[in-house]
Amino acid sequence: MNKMNDLVIPFEHRMFAHCESGTVTGLLNHGGLPLTEPMVFGISSGILFLYFKTPALPFPTFVVRNFPGQMIRGVSRRLGVKFSSAKYRDQKKGEEAIDALLDKGIPVACRTDFYYMDYLPAYMRAHFNFHYLTIVGRKGSKFLVSDCYSTELAELERESLRKGRYPGGSFDPRGFLFYPVRVPQNPDIDAAIRKGIKAACFNMLRLPVKQVGVKGIRLFSKKIMEWPGMARNEDHLSHEIMKINILLEDQGTGGAGYRFMYATFLRQASEKLNAPALREMSERMMLVGDDWRRISIYAARMGKNHDFGETKFRELSEKIARQADAEEKFFTDLARIAKTL
Amino acid sequence: MKEKDARVEGKDTHQLVMYVEKDDGSYDSIMTGSYLVKNYVDDFWDKKKKIEDEFLGKIKNGEATPIMLYMMLEELTEVELAGRVGISVRKVKKHLTPEGFETMTLRTLKRYAEVFDVPVVNLMQAVVTKKSGLQIRAEKTKNPLFYFLRIEG
Repeated sequence: MNKMNDLVIPFEHRMFAHCESGTVTGLLNHGGLPLTEPMVFGISSGILFLYFKTPALPFPTFVVRNFPGQMIRGVSRRLGVKFSSAKYRDQKKGEEAIDALLDKGIPVACRTDFYYMDYLPAYMRAHFNFHYLTIVGRKGSKFLVSDCYSTELAELERESLRKGRYPGGSFDPRGFLFYPVRVPQNPDIDAAIRKGIKAACFNMLRLPVKQVGVKGIRLFSKKIMEWPGMARNEDHLSHEIMKINILLEDQGTGGAGYRFMYATFLRQASEKLNAPALREMSERMMLVGDDWRRISIYAARMGKNHDFGETKFRELSEKIARQADAEEKFFTDLARIAKTL
Repeated sequence: MKEKDARVEGKDTHQLVMYVEKDDGSYDSIMTGSYLVKNYVDDFWDKKKKIEDEFLGKIKNGEATPIMLYMMLEELTEVELAGRVGISVRKVKKHLTPEGFETMTLRTLKRYAEVFDVPVVNLMQAVVTKKSGLQIRAEKTKNPLFYFLRIEG
């Protein structure tokens, strides 16, 4: 490899609640569009619920946001942002593409396997092929990485980024990268908000798939009763139960307190559209988020104390079922309000 | 969530961003410590240690292989591991048995090590010591199969 000159693009590194919404927000802000993370999340209809089991994962799981990549597409479609994206079969060419963009002063976002981002604490690192970050420079054998989960601009060995961009397995990123080539300075944000809200309500209430939306929450509430029979042993069950807390709050797809982020989006939307009804909905969403938080703490304690009696599971299941009812009511009301906006 | 309920203080607590209701009633982000890390990270490591001990015991008794150990530690299924290593599920199943493990090519072993993000030698040995406070790290060389095991302290 030819020796590369060190360079740093003046990109403002900030922490965000979640990697995809944060990465997109960072790129748009860099491109001159001062949108907040909750706005990006709401406009792209980021809120969702999905319960699923796949041969790629050792245990059933759930996410509380839309499918990875949809925030990028949602912002692109609804705000008219044009992203250029590419995948590279050849790993060397994939790395050269990043260097070429950096040479032009363009910060470039990549999709990676979280596991190889060794600047993050070891307990955070898990194999997950949907972690987004932005490369903003290089220094010696390392890239400079703006990662929403890192307090500082991070340094990552080229070798680690290569592994992260080409991990194989399900949803292999295959060197996927993207960057905005056109960021409109005055997009019709009001229209984008309306579309984002309507689509979110549709996804939560009317997608004809039992794993998705309110139906997905109900499925989760039923299926959780089967978890004790699916675990390898008590420690395994404890680990999976405690992951509910991770998924609802702390990290990864599904994490970051999405209900709180959506409440913040609705608050900002109410101010932008001058719609007091949305302000009221933002307060309701905050309460829905509080109830999810209670569930996550309940699950974490259950897991820590190995408290796995049927009554405990039944109680957890009922709490989740109540969330389904609350979200059904919430999104039904929100859909009605959305028609009047 | 109210800001005061979201705040998790503590030295060296992993930081994250959360959206909360602030004292003045506005909704905005704050940076705070992780509730989960503060309260449960020790439990997480205890479980990992138990898995490690269990599977090292099985390896010692010829009932498992290092592939199985790392597969469990990194929560990968046979299907997912096969996709990542670039081999068939049938081959992964074979490599989970001591008999199948020893028939593996060095190229495949290297690919497993890459996926698990460990030095290749970790798939052929475990370092055991009764001394505490040692720093042990495998240092790469330009030969992808050869490492210096540096033990300091």
